[in-house]
Amino acid sequence: MIKSAFGLVILLAAAGILAAQTPTATPSASPAAPPAAQPAVPHTNLKVGQAAPDFTLPSTIAGADGRSVRYKLSDFKDKKNVVLAFYVLAFTGG
Amino acid sequence: MKAYQAGLAKFEATDTQVFGISVDSVPANREFGKQNGITFPLLSDFKRTVVKDYGIFNEEGGYGNRATFVIDKKGIIQHIDEGRVAIDPTGAADACNILTHKKGTQ
Repeated sequence: MIKSAFGLVILLAAAGILAAQTPTATPSASPAAPPAAQPAVPHTNLKVGQAAPDFTLPSTIAGADGRSVRYKLSDFKDKKNVVLAFYVLAFTGG
Repeated sequence: MKAYQAGLAKFEATDTQVFGISVDSVPANREFGKQNGITFPLLSDFKRTVVKDYGIFNEEGGYGNRATFVIDKKGIIQHIDEGRVAIDPTGAADACNILTHKKGTQ
């Protein structure tokens, strides 16, 4: 009983030392590191070399019938490179 | 998007189709395109399926984050810009240039 309690104290002490060391070690290792200011920004899980997910979406271009032209990504296969520029309308000043 | 419009000739010279894409409605994008003189198609991902597929959907804000993907003729992603760097089309234009030159040497 006493032995296990003593073991717990050792464990807590070790954890305390670790916890105390971590914050002091970080700034000395990378003094120029910027603060993590953007926690909620999701990053794409896609990587260079992967196939681009296909889609079909309506566009701002009006067809001969006056309706919105729909574009399908896979229609450009073997024809053109495609640049997809995702933007946020509400935040786009220019 | 204005920067992409300004660089459109460069993209067209490298056999590249440029799309703007946002989660806004077609009428909202039409108005935006008209005001900014955008001639390339702006796509409307109103259902947020594409921003989710591309992993840039901002759950909190309900919109897609700024990002640019360059996709080659085989449908493979060749270049990705995310966040503020994606506002500048230079990286994407360079990537398209490299793709065109690669094609020439193949």
